[in-house]
Amino acid sequence: MQMQNKYRLAPRNPLHVLLFAVPGAVLYAVFVLWPLLLALWSSFTDEDAYRLTTSFVGFDNYGRLFTDPAYLQTLRNTVILALICIVVPNALGLGIAVLLDRAGWAFNVMRAVFFIPVILSSVVVAVIWQQMLKDDGLINASLRAFGVADPPGWLSDPSLALYSVGWITAWQAVGTCVVLYLAGLQSIPKELLEAASIDGAGPVRRFRAVTWPLLAPSVTIMTVLSMIGGFKIYDQVKVMTNGGPGVGTTSTLAFDVVRTGIDAGAVGYGAAKAAAMFFMIAAISLLAIRVMRRREVDL
Amino acid sequence: MTAEAGVGHRTSGRRQLASQIEAGRAGPARTLIALILTAVFIYPIYLVVLNAFKTQDAIYRYPGLPTLSLTWRNFVDVLTRPDGLFWTGLINSVQITVVGTLLSTVLAAMMAHYIVRSTGWFAKMLWVVIPLGVMIPPATTLLPLLRMMRDLGLIGSVFGLIVLYVAGSLPFGVLVFTGFMRTIPKELEEAAAMDGAGPVRTFWSIVFPLLRPAGASVVIFIAVGLWNDFITPLIILGPANGSTITVGMYRQISEHVSNYGAVFAYMVLATIPILVLFIFMQKHFVKGLLGGATKG
Repeated sequence: MQMQNKYRLAPRNPLHVLLFAVPGAVLYAVFVLWPLLLALWSSFTDEDAYRLTTSFVGFDNYGRLFTDPAYLQTLRNTVILALICIVVPNALGLGIAVLLDRAGWAFNVMRAVFFIPVILSSVVVAVIWQQMLKDDGLINASLRAFGVADPPGWLSDPSLALYSVGWITAWQAVGTCVVLYLAGLQSIPKELLEAASIDGAGPVRRFRAVTWPLLAPSVTIMTVLSMIGGFKIYDQVKVMTNGGPGVGTTSTLAFDVVRTGIDAGAVGYGAAKAAAMFFMIAAISLLAIRVMRRREVDL
Repeated sequence: MTAEAGVGHRTSGRRQLASQIEAGRAGPARTLIALILTAVFIYPIYLVVLNAFKTQDAIYRYPGLPTLSLTWRNFVDVLTRPDGLFWTGLINSVQITVVGTLLSTVLAAMMAHYIVRSTGWFAKMLWVVIPLGVMIPPATTLLPLLRMMRDLGLIGSVFGLIVLYVAGSLPFGVLVFTGFMRTIPKELEEAAAMDGAGPVRTFWSIVFPLLRPAGASVVIFIAVGLWNDFITPLIILGPANGSTITVGMYRQISEHVSNYGAVFAYMVLATIPILVLFIFMQKHFVKGLLGGATKG
């Protein structure tokens, strides 16, 4: 009894708050929350780095967003990238995980190999693939060697460049999916699969009836993480295409925020774009958490 | 009798088949397909490492093949650049990554302890506000941050970047530690409190050592993230001299578009430190990935 009373008092010890919570909370408030509020605030102004006067314009910047064809293109690009980031790494990752779900050192090595890109900087990945994909790069040189006279301009063709950016982002994310799905596969009780094959289920049937439903939570989580990752893409675009070829063909939300707010100096409009991006990602995350919680209950 | 035996036989036959399938041994076809896929997948990285050791001429002529005349020239070029791009970047990145990771990990662990053990309104508020931070993409706060850092005189400073990183990495650490700390029984701390240890002592001698598994995941995740980060140092430090190793790589590319050997050598050198850290802490990285993912 005495002990419990004494313990209950311990967290109320002013030292506890002061030393444990306050330093982090102050840093977080000043360097994370405050800038977010500042961005929200300036999104309601017409602030410009190259003009001295700033006035309050209400929701004008937000209204402008939805009639600005360049922004709509950026939004469309980002959604396409997010979709690629969901579908490609998850499909490839799942397939590779099923393929690599075997014992032996060779398979351990192969798993590690698929994970290498995950720890690389996305700048490194972008440069590597730039060398592969550029007009006289290795892929086109190989295609020419095989007799393709006019190979595609993976990064120079405005209708292809976005998909190239999507592909390299997906390539880097495959390893995460492989690791997650392998863990999922290995947590499936072997008895279930054996029981299914005793009942006469072939490999495809076993996968559909046993493996897939048990992997579903991992798939949901990876889908959400991939989508959020896709919405944040910046490095690959900055390094590989700088938003081009042409005007904004590979521009993404994050790239556009920096270009508008910092490079072009349209602080207010850039802030509105930043705020819109934050709200989109927050909405997706909250929706995702809700979906995941529901899934957990179902299981 | 016979029917039963037949069923029994068939079942055991299938069971044998089943256990053969699931025992974990791979057939030659699967091994071959897996090897080919792995080779295709990793081919771009093989190219970078290989070509980092080749002369410009050899890279152009035989991009995909090892040649007889492998050379250290490219590495020497990168390491002896007159402006010291690689070395300043390396020193800055090591400082930023080590100090930033340790500070944010310790602060996150302490804050998580407060959130889990305190019942007050402040703890509840933190638990609502802090996780928000993982949803804030860096691009959204960079504009105001740029101005703030300018006003504070922290623009272009490694110290300023560390402060930003500590604040920015905190939410992730708090999320992981809070989940983990809820599994640590309070009785341990109660016993220490009984013995007269204050909150600081209790935390350092009882709680913090117990956090090691989660702590290792937090450390490796934050360290890889800080080492590889591009957008924040590009804007806060600028691409000029004295940037981080990752931003320096960007500069090496934009300057030496034609000298691929040097670019590749730079990439190899820039990846080695984080690769070494990763190899040492690989288990924790994967565990963190799985833990974080399955707990949502």
